[in-house]
Amino acid sequence: MPTRFRFIGRRVVIGLVQLVGLVLAVFFLIRLLPADPAARLVGQNATPEALAAARHTLGLDRPLMIQLADYLGLWGRAGVLEANLGTSWSSGAPVLTEIHQTLPITVELITLSFMGAFLVAFPIGTLCATRPGGVADRGTFVFTLFAGSQPEFWWGVLFIYVFFYLLNAAPPPLGRLDPLSTPPAVVTGFITIDSLLAWNFTALGDGLYHLMLPVATKVFVLSGPMIKMIRQNMVRALSSDYILYAESCGLPPRTIARYALRNALAPALTLIGVLYGYVLGGAVLIETIFSLGGIGQYAVNAVLNFDYPAIEGVVLVITAVSLVVYLVLDVVQVLLDPRVAE
Amino acid sequence: MTRLRAYPTLVIGLVLVTLAVLLAVLSPYIVPYAPNTATPDVEMAPPRLTQIPHLLMQGAPVHWFGTDAAGLDVFSRVLTAPRTDLIIAISANLLSMFAGTLIGLLCGFYRGWLSELVMRISDLVQSFPILISGMILVTLAGRNAGNIILALGLLYTPIYVRLARVEVLSQRSRGYVEASRALGMREIVIAARHVLPNSLAPSLIQASVMVGFGILTTAGLSFVGAGVRPPTPEWGLMIAGGVDDMIQGQWWPSVFPGVAISLTVFGFAALGNGLERLYAR
Repeated sequence: MPTRFRFIGRRVVIGLVQLVGLVLAVFFLIRLLPADPAARLVGQNATPEALAAARHTLGLDRPLMIQLADYLGLWGRAGVLEANLGTSWSSGAPVLTEIHQTLPITVELITLSFMGAFLVAFPIGTLCATRPGGVADRGTFVFTLFAGSQPEFWWGVLFIYVFFYLLNAAPPPLGRLDPLSTPPAVVTGFITIDSLLAWNFTALGDGLYHLMLPVATKVFVLSGPMIKMIRQNMVRALSSDYILYAESCGLPPRTIARYALRNALAPALTLIGVLYGYVLGGAVLIETIFSLGGIGQYAVNAVLNFDYPAIEGVVLVITAVSLVVYLVLDVVQVLLDPRVAE
Repeated sequence: MTRLRAYPTLVIGLVLVTLAVLLAVLSPYIVPYAPNTATPDVEMAPPRLTQIPHLLMQGAPVHWFGTDAAGLDVFSRVLTAPRTDLIIAISANLLSMFAGTLIGLLCGFYRGWLSELVMRISDLVQSFPILISGMILVTLAGRNAGNIILALGLLYTPIYVRLARVEVLSQRSRGYVEASRALGMREIVIAARHVLPNSLAPSLIQASVMVGFGILTTAGLSFVGAGVRPPTPEWGLMIAGGVDDMIQGQWWPSVFPGVAISLTVFGFAALGNGLERLYAR
């Protein structure tokens, strides 16, 4: 037991140090790059006085270390240390509020996509592992190689063309709900959960209808690497000594499959961690195509507007979320297989 | 020939990658229209796939893949795009492979707090979605091909650091290293002359896959408006430019560049897989 705690504690400490390091790195990096947010704000034909005024309003005329102290909350107003991510330069709203609105949208998209991809990948990967080198295995291999190397934004656009324009079976890519419908009261920010909580099945149906194509696009792209990893884990588990032993004992195939499954699932968990960054990066593209308004789309707008507080906020939150994901996966893994901690 | 038949992915990959590289080199000499010059009065002409494309014939009348909303010839632009996409992806990977292999070699050979710190920084860079960090770096540094190369080169470096370091760690205790040491060779000479060449294979295999991802990232960046500027002939920009037309049924400005990028990246992935199998044999 103490080894486990020490292992997890070590991970938490490393994670926090990484978070602080990244926040500082991003703070200095975006200020060292040659972009000029003040010029962007006042426009091309502004007078030098207007430019200087804008620079002063944004606080960019102060020394770098003072700006950092201000951002962290060591200089006057509340800062990052008091969980205040500042005010967006483009919208004027608090960054934390905006992230609070956009993050659940992305988390919902990613969660549903992971679930969908796992439901597709698990049976296929397992089937391939039972007959490695067979026709199904080789066919699936070509599919995984193909799906894993596809531009998901193009497939999203293609799906819209086929299912919205040609077949009229999907909504136009204009958001999460029909603009004429009443959205459910915001509790979690997840359309699916909020509409269930409000017992509003019209909104639930509408939300799922609008999520159908974005999720399908992500499932298609994600299923490639996922099938590959599940297959590898299953093949490894099935060829191990304890399975050989179970077979030689004459245990029924069902029982053997159950043994293999449990041991194949533990490494399969890590693939969520491995794919997380990849999926989140892709969410930027999918949200842009379908106008979902998640944190990916928020990040795009923040970057294109040179909105430093919003950029810093997005980086901080995305890193924090990924640290939590990694930590939870580590803990689950240690619980499943204590040898990991040693 | 019989040996090649045992590696179908290698063959498919080589064919597609060669085609893309040839287009990157030869496209200005073979495309029928200048990629950035609109043909007057032919906006949104539908593709005419039943006719013969006029390769090598400048100013030929057929728009084989149709024209886009600005009257630009889609066929010529699709064929010219590898110039941008391939050059960015390959240069970025050369840059990061050089830097990453060097750092990985040093980190694997001299282990201490510095190499530990380098590995933690690599973790940090790798843990963040490349599309988002790339978007920030490129937009704030200035949206041009050179900055995309630098940004992707920086972001891909940790991958090569890791690959080189793992390989060096497994090589450094092999017999030939011990033998060189026993002969009194200096560590740096052993590292550069003996361990380095033996540690390159995994990085080279990975490079093929990574060039494909580099193309995807380059196209993704311009798709969200954080990459090269229009009207550069670039696949991601072309797809983005055609999205609105596609929803109204005019599919060709987006679909053809999409097919091109899809096949090219698949080619690089297949080549990587083929090389991996060849190496593992």
